[in-house]
Order: sequence, then structure tokens, then C-alpha cells
Amino acid sequence: MATKQRRNKILIVDDEWQAGIVKAVTRRLEQEGWEAVTINPGPGRRSGDEFESAALFAIEEQRPDGVLLDVRFGEHRDDRFKGLEILQKIVADHPRLPVLMFTQYAQGPERETAVRGTLRWDAQVDFIDKLASPEEVVLRLRRLIGRSPETIAIGDRIVVDTRAQVVYVKKDSGQETVNDIQGMKFEILRELAATWFRSPGELVPFGRLERYSEGEDARASLRVRIREIKDSLGEALGVRFGADDLIINIRGHGYRLVAPRA
Amino acid sequence: MVILGGIVALAVAPVFGNRLFTVLWGVEPLTYLGAVAVIIGLGFVSISYLVMRPANAGAAQGGSVPIDMAQWSRTTLQYFELFHHDLGRPLRRILGKERELRAMLAAGEINQSPAVKDLLDEIERQAPNFRLMMSNIQVLIQLESPESPAELQPVEPAQVVRRIVDRYSAVASEAGKEVTWWAEPAEFGIIYTDSSAIEHVVANLVDNAVRFATTHVEVKLTRNPTHFFIRVWDDGPGLPAQYRPHVFDRGWTPEAARGQEKTSSGLGLFIARTLARRYGGELTVEAVTAPSPDHHTAFLLSLPLGPGANGSSN
Repeated sequence: MATKQRRNKILIVDDEWQAGIVKAVTRRLEQEGWEAVTINPGPGRRSGDEFESAALFAIEEQRPDGVLLDVRFGEHRDDRFKGLEILQKIVADHPRLPVLMFTQYAQGPERETAVRGTLRWDAQVDFIDKLASPEEVVLRLRRLIGRSPETIAIGDRIVVDTRAQVVYVKKDSGQETVNDIQGMKFEILRELAATWFRSPGELVPFGRLERYSEGEDARASLRVRIREIKDSLGEALGVRFGADDLIINIRGHGYRLVAPRA
Repeated sequence: MVILGGIVALAVAPVFGNRLFTVLWGVEPLTYLGAVAVIIGLGFVSISYLVMRPANAGAAQGGSVPIDMAQWSRTTLQYFELFHHDLGRPLRRILGKERELRAMLAAGEINQSPAVKDLLDEIERQAPNFRLMMSNIQVLIQLESPESPAELQPVEPAQVVRRIVDRYSAVASEAGKEVTWWAEPAEFGIIYTDSSAIEHVVANLVDNAVRFATTHVEVKLTRNPTHFFIRVWDDGPGLPAQYRPHVFDRGWTPEAARGQEKTSSGLGLFIARTLARRYGGELTVEAVTAPSPDHHTAFLLSLPLGPGANGSSN
């Protein structure tokens, strides 16, 4: 096995770490192939201060790639914005460490603006509503950490390995390389997959993809290549990808990738 | 009334005087005291009514007791925060359980019935609505406040759109719909505006579009030298022409127009347009209705770029 990429490690600092909503995020992070470490200051220790010292210690000890930090700790009035105090301490000691804050809307934009005003302009801090779906949390963390993985899984069965420059599909019988997708076609798929990974709804404009086409009519040859990519993957998986599947054309603007439905 | 009674009594006194006098002496003295007390009481009520009425009318016209609107708005917001927290706690628990159930379903720990998945999807779908509803109420309170709009900050509009699409794409894809967005130029640059206001407006527009789309929603970000534009398009059946003048009315929903039960508050588009205008912009709608093959509804938000805006395109 080649040198394995280190897994992203996320530290979760939330007094509701046993609640379903946080557990669902933890589970989703693990599915993503990330390591989720939950702070637990110990039995009976529930105050904001206890979480603060446990979190700061864990950052030194575990060296996480990102922190998911709640704003509110418990029902005590003094701990209503304890998370913001913890944030200031983290940013002071580790200015490059990405932190995603779990907020409630009512503490929202104005407080966000106030907090941002006290941080350095390039601080890696973002805010997300606590009711956000686990998918949304993962997307924000992906962008905040900003590192694309070497292998991008599109849905459950297609994998783009950007280091080895191959695409393979997962089947019941094992993993199979799709040999037809190489060179320019691989570059097109890699471009679409990388954008999809970081920002799933975002369109890749024709201009960025036409670099990987040649001939007098770059757009027409791009269209042919995309058709071929869809056919090759479809053949490998034993399905047919139509106009609204896998790679879709947005009239006159570009293409985007859509994960195939299970 | 009292005066009138007195005049009548004086007029009829010569006629009944003697007889009445004899009868009255036959009555208990205490009854006299009671009658006097009643007459004084009635007089007092009449006088106070006549004297106080003009004073009350003056207060109602806003003269004598000034109400501090800013203070009122701050207090309302504080109540709202408390209320939001109290409502948010049980909602987080419910959603947490829903997500645990979903994970168990995926892991095959419970019976994988499609009906169960449909129910879970329905619960999940309502969560973004709740987030939008709560933020709409908050903005509504702020809009009532006489304080001026928030200070303008440097904002990357592409980032705002990206966040909203993240929020809705999972919900949309559960319903077999796709949300796509792009910016022209691709490197859109920074503008000066209020990011939370744009986020409110666009979230309301995308929420609507996802609800009414058949399969696709498109969000397009463009600019000219003075303004930037966000167009939210859906391939739904298209908003009928007779509804277009009312779509921004407070509380209006297509269901209400058809006399059916409302499925949303009808505040979203009202708030969106009010916010857009507050920041010197505008929000308009255009639509083509089915059966035309090009049927769609599109909302166009335009806002000024703000002072000192920069951009790679200009």
C-alpha cells in the first residue's frame, strides 16, 4: 500500500455531545472517512469552564485539523456565550486552526459580525446553525479545512483517484478500473469531481472544461467527451446515464456533476 | 341629565308639591342619604368622563406619552431570543432522534420499510422551513425598528449563495430536484453590503423555488458597473399572471388565493422585497406558465454594489 493520506481529525466541543443531533454529525464525519473526537470532561463535569480546559488541552494533545465548537454551554446564564470565550482562546493560540461554530439563529448574524470584528481578518472561523443537516456541516468543514482528498468518492460506487489518475467503480465482485477514462477525459472528470466535492451545487463553466478539448469546435468536442465518460461509467456499472444523470448540462453555461442515486 | 332632571322637578313642583312633600316625609331618613350619595356618585362619573375624554384622545394621537420604539424593538427581540431557545431545544431533540433513526435504518438495524423513510424525509424537510420561519420573524421585528439598517461590510456574494445551496441541496435531492448555481464572472469579487440581509432574501427565494420546481432550480449571480443581481429560477408550472401582483403582499400564499389551507406563512417574499428596498435595491418576478414548454418562475434581486466595491471584472 502506498503512503496513506492522514485522516482529517475533527474535535467536537459541545456539552450536548450525547444528544442525537451531535451524534448524527459524528457519525456522518466518520462516514466521510474523518476521525471525530468528542470532548468529555468527565462524569459530572458539565460547566463551561470544564469544557474549556478539556478542549484547550485536547487541541495541544491531539492536533486536530478542525474544531466544531458550540456557542452555548448548558442553561446557566454565564455560559450562554461561553463558546465565544473558548473561540477567542483557541484563535489566540492557534490562529490557523479552522473552527466551525455551532450557533442558534437568534444569536445569529449580529453576534457573528461582532465576533468577526474581534478576530483577525484571515481567521479560519465560520458559523453554522445547530439545526443544519449533518451533510451541511460536512460541506462547511470541507471548505474550511480546504484540503481536497486524493480520492473522491462520487456516491457509493464511483471513485476518482487523483494521485494515480484512475477512475474505478465498486461492484459486488470487487473494484474495477475504468480504463476508457484517461488523459483529457480524466482531467474533465477530475475537474467536475473536485468542484462537486467542495461545493456540490456549483456549476463548472464551459471555459474551464474546454481547456481539455481540442479541435475547431471545442464545445462540441467537450460534449462528445462528456457523453463518452458517462457511457464508460454506465457500462462499468451496468446502468445507462441519461441527460439528467451524473453530469448534467446547464444550457449555455457549463456542466455539473450529480451523485448517482443509490 | 342631572340638570335636565332638576328643571323638570322645578316645573312640576307647584302641581305635585304639597302631596309629594307629605309622602317624602314618610320615607326613612337613611334612604335620603343613599339617594344623595347616588346622585353625587353619578355626577362625579359624568364629570370625570367629560373631563378625561379629550385627554385620552390626545394621548392616542401620540402627543403626551412618547413610546420608545427602539426600546420596544430591543425588548421584543430579547423575548424572541428566549422563545427561540426554548423552541429550539425540543426541536433539536426531535431532529436528533430522526437522524439517529435514519442512521439505524441505513445500517440495517431496523426494518427498512420505504414508508418509514418517507416519514423521516418529511420530518427532515420541515427543519429548514423552521430555520427560515424563525429568521423571518426575527427580521420582521428588526424591520419594525426605527433604527437604521446594519452597517455595510465587505461580502463575497458567491460565498452567500454557496451556503444557501449547501443548505437546500440535500433537501432538494431527497425530492428528486437539483439546485445549480454559478457566477458570471466566475471570480466575482467583493462588494459592500449587509450579508445577513442578502442571505435572508436569497434563502427565501431558494426555499420557494425548491418547493415549486419540477426538477431544477438555478441561481445565477451577475453584475454590472453599479449593481449586482441574483436570479433564482425554477422549472415549475410558473406563477399565474393573476397572482403576480400579489406575490409580495404580506401573508399572501397561492393556497390562500385558492381558498385552501396555507402551507407557509406568506411572509417570505414580503420580507425579501422589504429588505431589498431597504438597501436601495429591488425584487421582481417574471414567469411563463404551463402548458408552454418554457414554463418557469424567476425572481430577480438587484442591489447596489455599495461604495468602494472592487471586482476583477471591472
